[in-house]
Amino acid sequence: MTRYGMVLDLNMCIGCNACTIACKAEHASPSGVFFAKVLEKEVGKFPAARRVFLPVLCNHCEQPACKEVCPTGATSKREDGVVVIDYDLCIGCRSCIEACPYGSRTFYDGNGAYYPGYTTLFETAKQNIPEGVVMKCNFCVGRVDQGLDPACVQTCPTECRVFGDLDDPQSEVSQLVAAKKARPLLPEKGLNPSVFYIGG
Amino acid sequence: MTARIDEFLIGVKPQREWGWLVITYLFLGGAGAGLFLISLYIDHGWAGALGLVVVISGTGLLLLDLGRPERFWRAFYRPQSSWISRGCFFITLLVALGALQVALGVFEIELSPGIATAVKLVSAAAAVLVMIYTGFVLSPSAAIPFWNSTFFPIIFFAYSLLAGIDILILTSPLLPGPALDLGALEGWQAYLALGCLIFVLSHLSVMSGSATAARESIRLLTRGRWATLFIGGVIGLGLVVPLLLGWPFAGRSDMQTIFVMTAVLAILRLFGDYLFRFLVIRAGMYDPLL
Repeated sequence: MTRYGMVLDLNMCIGCNACTIACKAEHASPSGVFFAKVLEKEVGKFPAARRVFLPVLCNHCEQPACKEVCPTGATSKREDGVVVIDYDLCIGCRSCIEACPYGSRTFYDGNGAYYPGYTTLFETAKQNIPEGVVMKCNFCVGRVDQGLDPACVQTCPTECRVFGDLDDPQSEVSQLVAAKKARPLLPEKGLNPSVFYIGG
Repeated sequence: MTARIDEFLIGVKPQREWGWLVITYLFLGGAGAGLFLISLYIDHGWAGALGLVVVISGTGLLLLDLGRPERFWRAFYRPQSSWISRGCFFITLLVALGALQVALGVFEIELSPGIATAVKLVSAAAAVLVMIYTGFVLSPSAAIPFWNSTFFPIIFFAYSLLAGIDILILTSPLLPGPALDLGALEGWQAYLALGCLIFVLSHLSVMSGSATAARESIRLLTRGRWATLFIGGVIGLGLVVPLLLGWPFAGRSDMQTIFVMTAVLAILRLFGDYLFRFLVIRAGMYDPLL
């Protein structure tokens, strides 16, 4: 079985948000909606203060809480472990947003145009998210099904992101997880995320 | 749809998705089902009808809260895992069998005793399920520790019954049918309010030793932004004041003569119930990612 996952090396992340922009370019997500983003926090005190960065995206959990609570079956998990949303089934109850401890999901209320009253050619061509549904990162399944990496992985200038099959012990992600003691976010929630972090 | 600055900060975050429509549904759905349940006990068909109207009104608000209300029927698809889906079945069962039960009583239709008893028992069970299932919607939450508590189904049951009886007290002068014993109702309310108080304080006590986000929720409710509403409104005006003022009147047979008194107590308790559900939803916080 394939189980797609990602490893992010926080020691290499410089907080440039290239992943955020690549994701926006790939999915044409509405204004104010981020399937991938970089969280930041200031730690320490002057003169030893510094900023830490945490790139986040959907964790594509092995036991997704969002899927359990979805009353319509709009959220499902593919055989390759990618958690996806069927916009045609979603009723916009937002129970999945309440269930996700990672804040990976966003409800689209329809006010997502970058320029109010005007839709750019890019938005017209690429934006296909209907109003009133919940959306999130889908690991760029369109690209993955063609054998490509997700847009954020391809774009990252420091190569802090690695994507691959966690069930394949020979894959780079599996070896990174094993060798560098990568850990998921909030493991105590018991959802078995497929996104792991090194360092930080 | 604008991203807020705290969306990009690592830390405890409040839930913002469920607002006043969901909160009002929690209140009306529970209160209506509670009223229906008590109407079965006191055998008052019109009170049962009012309870169903309250449940249906609340459900209407819930539909308005959906992003795609025209697809509401899809919410029945996943009862095997989703409590929202199960709730849809409970509400449907309550409204369908409840309407039948009310019709039997109001229009004095005779059914065989076995069928009549079955309708009454199943509609009572549906009412109980509608009162508690919203607690099960919240309590399995892995994301919001303050909700992750087995107390919620119990608290919602007690509050729903409390609110149902309060609506009954307030509407008693207008309801056709037999006169209600307000003294007896006030007696039940004293025990229910005491139960709510114990359950709510127990929940807070358990949560105060829980995850970071749960402790932040407790802080908001007891010392932070929502402290005045929670301590003053939910605990004080909603439970303690009605308990202290209402206890002497519990069980009195001349309550009709001081209807204003018991009506004021009912309004206070309803206010406290709505406020409780409001604060439970608004004080829900996500744990920090790091």
